[in-house]
Amino acid sequence: MEANGYQKQVMEIYQFINDHLYFNRPDIEIKGERYNSAILFSLLTGLLKGKELIIGEPGLGKTTSAEFVCSVVYQFPLGVIWGSEVSGHPEQTEEKIIGRPDLGKLNRGEEDVVWTNFSQIPVKIVDEINRLPETKQSMILDGVDRGNWEYLNEMIINDEYCLFATANYQDGGTNTIIAPLVDRFDGMVESRYPGANLSFLIGKMRRKDHILRHPKFEKELYRVLKSKITYEKKIPKIEEICNAFGDYIQEALNVKPLQRQDRDQIRSDMERLELDLDASAFTRMILTELSFCDVYGQKRIVENCEEGCHYTGYLCHQIKNCASNRLPTSIRLYGQGLAWLLGDSEIDIEHVKSILPYTLSHRIQWKDEVLSQKERAKRDDPFPIFLAKEAVKMVSQRYREQSEHLKDALAIGSKIFQGESLEPLEGDHPLYVEIKKDVNARRS
Amino acid sequence: MKTVHPQKKSLIDSVDSRPWATKNPFEEFKTFTFQKTDIPLDQIIQSNEIVMDRIRWGYEKLLEEEAKELVWMVQYNTIIKAYEVAEKYIKEIDYSAEDIEDFCFALENTHRVPYLIPGPAGVYISALCNYAKEEEIVLKLSELKTEINLIGFRLPKGKRLSVEGDTGDFTGIGLEGGELVVEGNAKNWTGAGMRSGKIVVKKNIGLHTGEWMMGGEIYVGGRVRGLGNIVEGRVFEREKLIYPGKVRYPNLYY
Repeated sequence: MEANGYQKQVMEIYQFINDHLYFNRPDIEIKGERYNSAILFSLLTGLLKGKELIIGEPGLGKTTSAEFVCSVVYQFPLGVIWGSEVSGHPEQTEEKIIGRPDLGKLNRGEEDVVWTNFSQIPVKIVDEINRLPETKQSMILDGVDRGNWEYLNEMIINDEYCLFATANYQDGGTNTIIAPLVDRFDGMVESRYPGANLSFLIGKMRRKDHILRHPKFEKELYRVLKSKITYEKKIPKIEEICNAFGDYIQEALNVKPLQRQDRDQIRSDMERLELDLDASAFTRMILTELSFCDVYGQKRIVENCEEGCHYTGYLCHQIKNCASNRLPTSIRLYGQGLAWLLGDSEIDIEHVKSILPYTLSHRIQWKDEVLSQKERAKRDDPFPIFLAKEAVKMVSQRYREQSEHLKDALAIGSKIFQGESLEPLEGDHPLYVEIKKDVNARRS
Repeated sequence: MKTVHPQKKSLIDSVDSRPWATKNPFEEFKTFTFQKTDIPLDQIIQSNEIVMDRIRWGYEKLLEEEAKELVWMVQYNTIIKAYEVAEKYIKEIDYSAEDIEDFCFALENTHRVPYLIPGPAGVYISALCNYAKEEEIVLKLSELKTEINLIGFRLPKGKRLSVEGDTGDFTGIGLEGGELVVEGNAKNWTGAGMRSGKIVVKKNIGLHTGEWMMGGEIYVGGRVRGLGNIVEGRVFEREKLIYPGKVRYPNLYY
């Protein structure tokens, strides 16, 4: 991949956040370089228009990490980001999240919507999402998925947006995040404890957020957001103020934020990156294990496969639910982001292996026996991410053993689709069965 | 005059109107050169087959030499002789405990092993266990329809053989210090002539238990049908010592 300077600019943003705003240890190694997963994935989420769930103990920087990243990537002063955040609590309403009727106009008999800052700006942060009751989580499903925000008979569509949601571990005030909402998140990371020494340092320092504040621009942005002009007309005005704030950041902090055209260019560069053959075969392998069921045709949350199946050793026997079609999208998306950031010309298997645990961990529902078997294992990650990492390791091992045969099987599948008279290859993995099913569907 | 809007055209082009079945889901692999390679599993299966062939060959040689007319009498001399022949062939084979288990199941499959004669088969399996690299061997034989005789013959010190399922007659005879655990039942003459070691039978045991045993211990979790003429050693029934004890007469219910 030909680097056009944007990679360097993004890495400088990473370094700036790491050095000045969010102090933590590196906890992930990718191709020999060590990164902090919370900053790295939040940065990619911001760039990729993704959706990220950040989990962790209270007070360990879940929300602030997202705010810092969004402020620098989207050039919004922190004051505006704070004013557009939605906090999850049981009394939350659609009017506070999406929009409300314009009461002045309503008095005159007209119907108009006053959109919330949350629905209008591209940076969307939902704080403590799991404090929203299950029934109210459905309110944000569509907005989270497509960027469509509907109120009364009106709708605004965010062309560019990213979403960060934070969640505490289960306590008395939390609810379960409903499965359709969880599945809409591309990735999950933990904002973890930085260690006693860094924590002590954080305690000694005065608040760091003032460096990303700018009351004048904040006021201007609020004025535009509150104005009665149409949403489409607001966008260029908002961008203009954001660019001015970006210039200020560059001058004051010596870090260059990304303007809209920079972000668009980066996305278009990322979009061109494809998975190489190993990455593709490996991804297919893991998707198969997360969806295959020899007994019932596919995984279903309501069906439990028993012992004695030939495929007992695969992930399909350890999990309850089926992988959704959003999973490969998330894998490709974050694979593109990571490969682009590292300056690679293709998404290779290392990229996929690095991002997989974070795209899988929140989506897999493990069987109780697997949970009880592994919950006491020594680990450094939160339990769901640990389990996902273990699963990726297991599948990697299987892939190493049969990568050539698997690629042959896929190549033969392709030749059959092109009309050649061949027989699909046999092998001991459910993916060979899936290839056969596709080939048979083609033949029939 | 109608003009084609260029943007509209490209949008239409990008939508593939073909039915899904004609889309090639393996598109990116069309340039991948297919080459027939053996996957490690194939190699493992292949090497397992080679080992199994050699084990089978040894057994067939044993039958050729010791059961010429497919008749084999259980006598002290015939057992010793058969064991020596078995040793000769087994020493040349590199096998694992799993191969022994596979051989036990192969014995029931006449397609793979022509004759199952319980005596020589038991001697051969015992020799396989005694010469195996592993110190602990588990044979899962509960699915086996035939009860194999003479399992655990001359099991040496330091070896532990655990059998899941029932065993036939002469289980653990001539035991030489090893530990034999039968998870199910054992038939008659168990532990006959054993010198030292331990036999544990989790369920019931037949007649002549410990006949001419010279030492060691037999633990029975269920009932002992009858004891043999024991020279020395100890026999327990449900954790209760029954020999030496009140029992003096062989094969009497007590």
